[in-house]
Amino acid sequence: MKIRGYFIAASLCALSISSLSAQADADFAKANRDFAQGHFKEAISGYEALIRDGQWSANVFYDLGNAYFRAGDFGRAILNYERALALAQHHPEATANLQIARDEAHALELQASWPERYLQSATVNQYSVTAAVAFWVAAFCLAALIFTPRRSAAMISLLLVMLLVFAGAIFAIWQVERGSKGNALAIVTGKDVQARLATADTANAVLALPPGSEVKILSTRGDWTYVALPNNLRGWIPAKNAERVRL
Amino acid sequence: MGRAFLIGITAGILAAGFAFADSPSVTAVLSNSEIVVGETVELQIKVTGPGDARPPEEISVDGMEIHATGQSRQFEIHNFATSSSVTYNYTILPLRAGRFTIPPQTVRAGANLLKTPELTLNVADSPSRPSGVRPSRGTQTQSVRASDLVFAELIVPQKTAYVGEIVPVQIRMGFDPRVRPRLIEPPEITGQGFTAQKLQESGQNSETINGRPYDVVTYKTAIAAARAGKFEVGPVKAKAQVLVPRPRSAPRSRSRSPFDLFDLDDPFSDPFFSNPFAQIGERREIEIKSEPVALEVKPLPPKAPPSFSGAIGNFTMTTDAKPKSVQVGDPITVTTAISGRGNFDRVNAPVVEDERGWHKYPPSSKFKQDDEVGISGTKTFETVLSPNEKKQSLPLLAFSYFDPVKEQYVTVRSEPIAISVQGGAVAANVAATQRGSSPPTTATHPVPAIQSTAKPQDILYQLTERPRFTESFAPIYTRRVFWGAQLIPLLALIGFAVWKIRRAKINNREAQRLAALHHEAAELMHKLRRNDASPREYYAEASRVVRVKTALASGSRGIDPNVVDAETAADTFKLNSDERDQLRRLFEQSDEWQYSGAHNGPGRISSESRREVLELIENLK
Repeated sequence: MKIRGYFIAASLCALSISSLSAQADADFAKANRDFAQGHFKEAISGYEALIRDGQWSANVFYDLGNAYFRAGDFGRAILNYERALALAQHHPEATANLQIARDEAHALELQASWPERYLQSATVNQYSVTAAVAFWVAAFCLAALIFTPRRSAAMISLLLVMLLVFAGAIFAIWQVERGSKGNALAIVTGKDVQARLATADTANAVLALPPGSEVKILSTRGDWTYVALPNNLRGWIPAKNAERVRL
Repeated sequence: MGRAFLIGITAGILAAGFAFADSPSVTAVLSNSEIVVGETVELQIKVTGPGDARPPEEISVDGMEIHATGQSRQFEIHNFATSSSVTYNYTILPLRAGRFTIPPQTVRAGANLLKTPELTLNVADSPSRPSGVRPSRGTQTQSVRASDLVFAELIVPQKTAYVGEIVPVQIRMGFDPRVRPRLIEPPEITGQGFTAQKLQESGQNSETINGRPYDVVTYKTAIAAARAGKFEVGPVKAKAQVLVPRPRSAPRSRSRSPFDLFDLDDPFSDPFFSNPFAQIGERREIEIKSEPVALEVKPLPPKAPPSFSGAIGNFTMTTDAKPKSVQVGDPITVTTAISGRGNFDRVNAPVVEDERGWHKYPPSSKFKQDDEVGISGTKTFETVLSPNEKKQSLPLLAFSYFDPVKEQYVTVRSEPIAISVQGGAVAANVAATQRGSSPPTTATHPVPAIQSTAKPQDILYQLTERPRFTESFAPIYTRRVFWGAQLIPLLALIGFAVWKIRRAKINNREAQRLAALHHEAAELMHKLRRNDASPREYYAEASRVVRVKTALASGSRGIDPNVVDAETAADTFKLNSDERDQLRRLFEQSDEWQYSGAHNGPGRISSESRREVLELIENLK
């Protein structure tokens, strides 16, 4: 009796997930049709509705970026290309279109430090898995060394190598996460944005930020955000004029 | 004894001194009675006499700001008479010109109420002497007021610029070497309508200006105007702590320093500097400010060339390509180096003038600056071009910039580079093939596919495939599933450790059991060699030895010695038939003596029997 109840509940659950997925597919197809017919605002609404529903994927953000590009909003186009790349680092279409949008908007990019440039060849997730694997291999090596009367040099070497790999992976995660493509990366979406020395519209300007420019959010105070700028300076910009890449 | 006497005498003298000290008195002096608007003057109220004094908390005079700045206490001994005094310092800043009277102030000293004398201060309307120590620099200089110890200077080499043009700027900050400056806030160019790059300290030297030595620190930066119009660049502001002589209670009373040869009213010609014990200097925080500099910013002229991306300056371009012999569809890396002087942040990759028959990939760039502020250098672009058909030369690359000297747009083009392209035409969309999961555009979604011959700077097509599972921006290490997965190796590790510990315990128990059996066997052999045992005991011990030895010899089988019989023992030691019979007899005799009771009572075993039994047992190996 109980088993039958579980079976029915599981079936209902699978059915609802399936119908939700079908609905999302239909919405995605409609947004694509709107885009193809040149109805870019409708396409943007359609893609954004999908994103609000949590249907995040690199392709949806990429298509939304294209729709914003066609609508002439290069800042948001760049933001969504960056989001597509944050979800799928190797997305050639998003990479190509991002470069085109940057050229159009004359957007400024944050300069990556030299270790970051090398470390960006892998993703944070890959470093995380590497760190976990290295940690557990090191833990097993240590346990084997503790419980085995005879300690082999090979085992000790493996332990040391795994500890080094673990430390290196943790450093890479830390470096990438706080770097130019880290979790604080934001894109300027407003127009005529000036980074200023203080939280006032009358404060001295530090740098003019074209739409799509990259900044790194350091802190937020009220309606203002303190950011690291592409020219290695820091300044305040209105919080509404920049959006974080990672949702 | 002598020391106690001396202390007593000293205490007596001091007490007498205090007892006969004068009654409290008060004086008030201004450090200068004639100043100009903007300068400050020190007011000192000195209360002499015993007891605590309470100075006026607030002195208000219309047209002047008066703030208390601190107090100091002095003790003096003259001819065995001691006196103490407290000096209260105030800073007076006149807000307008005129003749001001500071009325008598009431000071409470112990139980007495004292009044300061009335003071008069004449404030002139305009400076009576130049405010800067660098008059030769004209309007670009201004010294710290009254101190004449520091100056800041903003040097902008040009008076006009174009929007976005990089203008190099130099800041010079001079300090009198004796003030021992410490910068609290580095210089900063204030003003609106332009952006400034990070300041770089470019050098430090000593200069003599107007007969005075200065340590001059030079900073370099560059500014770029954001919009057209007339702007004021600066002033440059900085804050520093400097050592200054204490204000003098009697101005002009000090003697001229031998170092102040030209009577320049050098504050450091104060006796403090000629005689360090005369007075103590104090560290004071001062703001250093330069004069602003006017800059007229002109808009860029209209009709910019299509390849103009905002670069302003003077540039040259060189181009190279590798490889020069390829198949259709193969990539050719075109390296373009743009060198010169200007706003390199707006220098973009040169555009391909005729992209027909080519597929262009987004370029990469790197910049190598030749100076401290990045105005001059070389920006190198690498653009990958892929021929879609047979070609004999690379397309021309064009780069446009605005030359502010010629006041016109300039377009530079690459030299034609001959190449050899072999093979037939390839599919138009090369980029689409890079991504295996990306399907080609379908008939249902007629989105524009990239055509290298159509619109070169157009974006790539829509992707119509939506992954079945949603993706997340959160790094994997922040997700529960990641930490849940760590339970698997954790449990495996715990299992491994438990298994190892259990194995160790078992091995330990086995070792203890074997040790006990060895010990028992040795004990029994020792007893068997003695002749004092009764036959019943003898045979019981002999059979027990056999059982123990069998258990020890069984090794990993771990036979319990209590269940060993003659056959088991014979099998374990692989005895021949005679020895097997001997062993059986031994066990039978042992059982007889143990259970039948037939041989109860005293009895003896022949030495022959003992020898046989011992031989048998010792041969069990």
